[in-house]
Amino acid sequence: MDVRAQISMVFHLDKCIGCHTCSIACKNIWTDRKGAEYMWWNNVETKPGTGFPTKWEDQDSYRGGWKVENGKLELRSTDKRGTVANIFHNPSMPSLDDYYEPWTYDYGELFNAPEGTDQPTARPISMITGNPMDIEAGPNWDDDLSGSPVYAKNDPNFAHLSDEQKSQLFAIERMVMFYFPRICNHCLNPACVAACPSGALYKRGEDGIVLIDQNRCRAWRACVAACPYKKTYYNWQTGKSEKCILCFPRLETGQAPACFHSCVGRIRYLGVLLYDADRIETVASMDDKELIGAHRDLILDPNDPEVIAEARKNGVHDSVIESAQASPVYKFVKNWGIALPPHIEYRTLPMLFYVPPLLPVMSSQEEGGLMNDIDELFGDIEKARAPISYLAKIFGAGNESYLRYALKKQMAVRLWRRAVTVGDITKEEAEKALTAADTTPEEADEIYRMTALCTFDDRFVIPPSHREEAIEMLEDPLEYKQSAGFGFRTGPRRGL
Amino acid sequence: MATVTLTAQQDTDEFFKQNCTSCHTIGGGRLTGPDLKNVEKRRDRAWLIRFIQDPQAMIASGDPEAQKLLREARGVVMPKVVGITKKRAAKILDLIAAESKLEKSRFAGLSLSDRPFTEEDRTIGRELFLGTRRLKGGGPPCLSCHTVNGVGGLGGGELGPDLTDAYARLEGRKVLGAWLASPSTETMAPVFKKHPIDPDEILPLLAFLETESKEGTPATTGSNINFVLLGVVGATALLFLFDYFWRRRFTGVRARLVRGQR
Repeated sequence: MDVRAQISMVFHLDKCIGCHTCSIACKNIWTDRKGAEYMWWNNVETKPGTGFPTKWEDQDSYRGGWKVENGKLELRSTDKRGTVANIFHNPSMPSLDDYYEPWTYDYGELFNAPEGTDQPTARPISMITGNPMDIEAGPNWDDDLSGSPVYAKNDPNFAHLSDEQKSQLFAIERMVMFYFPRICNHCLNPACVAACPSGALYKRGEDGIVLIDQNRCRAWRACVAACPYKKTYYNWQTGKSEKCILCFPRLETGQAPACFHSCVGRIRYLGVLLYDADRIETVASMDDKELIGAHRDLILDPNDPEVIAEARKNGVHDSVIESAQASPVYKFVKNWGIALPPHIEYRTLPMLFYVPPLLPVMSSQEEGGLMNDIDELFGDIEKARAPISYLAKIFGAGNESYLRYALKKQMAVRLWRRAVTVGDITKEEAEKALTAADTTPEEADEIYRMTALCTFDDRFVIPPSHREEAIEMLEDPLEYKQSAGFGFRTGPRRGL
Repeated sequence: MATVTLTAQQDTDEFFKQNCTSCHTIGGGRLTGPDLKNVEKRRDRAWLIRFIQDPQAMIASGDPEAQKLLREARGVVMPKVVGITKKRAAKILDLIAAESKLEKSRFAGLSLSDRPFTEEDRTIGRELFLGTRRLKGGGPPCLSCHTVNGVGGLGGGELGPDLTDAYARLEGRKVLGAWLASPSTETMAPVFKKHPIDPDEILPLLAFLETESKEGTPATTGSNINFVLLGVVGATALLFLFDYFWRRRFTGVRARLVRGQR
């Protein structure tokens, strides 16, 4: 057992309202620079939809992630031969058009327009060329348009749906959508790190954050092609690749990352997990169907004395172990089993988990009145507007049982709370639902509290970073003693 | 010390065999160059050492003896041997002197069969030349550097001389055969040193070259132009092929998605 710590995340999709506040918070802090205008380290997608960059889930085109070949785990994007063959042009790399051409507006034309009979307009200006341009796509193009004939219809997760299911999804007045906010998953088996020919990417030992060394990056862009979530981006100005850094400067000072902090719907949870690094390769090579369970088993119980002893042996600080014991992520993923990894079939073992959205038909209009459909307790999950098989394609590697379990439990919690607070459902009925969903009133209350009444400190259990210890490994903290104070970087210039 | 002397002796033998026997014999009669038996009785040792070190310079200096030798060899200039030194030249002369005293020297020349060339010889020779039949020693086929009568479609290699009239120029089987037994030019020697041509293969090659020398004259530059043209056409075709194979290289995923949707 090789116990390590990983800062992990849970996004509760049932609470996401798709306001993009997270994206803007991130953009304003990190990617509001030349060369980074098109990057969205955090973005929010409407599902069904093709996302950002367009159709990123279509690995036949982008060839991200890992595949198992002859029992061995191999990168899809490249191998020794492929590196040479594609050295000047990598055909599976997203182009700027697949992201979008970033633009601003010439506001001067608006504000300084001479008096006339027409409305003045602000012309869009490309932030790359500086010339006027026609806007054709954007990072959240077709936002809130689940039935759009071009983008939504080409959602790669529809590939296996029957025509009937598809037509149901797109039927007017039945259309359904949910939001899918995405950041770097800080995977356990990151394809971007494996693909880099310069060794510029690394996974931080103390908290598992995946970073790109800007000094070592040589602009190969192999990480861009290899990441199946397309969460590394190439900065055309600096000639280096960049990615979400999970706001590590904020984490190190005990603050939640900007996108977590600013989240209006409070959908985001962050906490540290302990995992067994010895078994990463074995787990990542498993069958699609076994992946979710095996990935979950990789996460260790932070209260198990054996795990604690092994963690200590590996230099994991006691305060980090304590933090792992209080981690909300551990509760969602391990205790309750309602948070699932996105597209685990890419085999990077993402450490960002999603609570799948409930999209039931709770009521329908009949004879002028609103009728509640709660006769069959779980019938509405099967009849949910988004087919479970569609959700299972995203969050279950096609495995519906995990999805059904997570949705049932959420539904049971709703019914239970309804019985407690409204009372139009009897407690017996609600308890029956809880038992059927493999949960108890106590657990249901706990889930309810963590979902609906969670405070800042409930949501973000940030482990102390102990940078003072990390820095001691690199340099002597007393090196600058007696030499601090006023000084000059360049010699002072006197007079005029 | 004895071992060292022995090694030095073997070294001289080997050096002589590799560099000299293609044109000279000791008591085997004239090949391209004269028979070296008792050469020191005919010429002064100091003169010989100077000549061995740089034959071309001696000929260029207008030395009357050297000019005479050139005429006797019908204009074939003895190449400057790679790695020759004054000391080595002296050792070679010692070797020649020692071998001259023997009844039958080891370097009396190659004993090739005198039987007339058969049709089979010619066929095998042709295959060896073209490389469709591999040389037993593992050496490269003649075609990779030489040509005869524009053989094999593109006219063979351009690195070595055209061998169409080689058989006639080198006076048939004895001289040319000796050459093939140990090619000694700067280009061929390093290649065939480790992969010598098998004695059984020499006769078929001679048969083939004899036929070719009867049939043709050395080719003109016509084949060169064809070669260049073919190169240009081939490169262009290859570019078009690349363009076809990677025709979607500038079309991203989104562009394909929205095409025809507006």
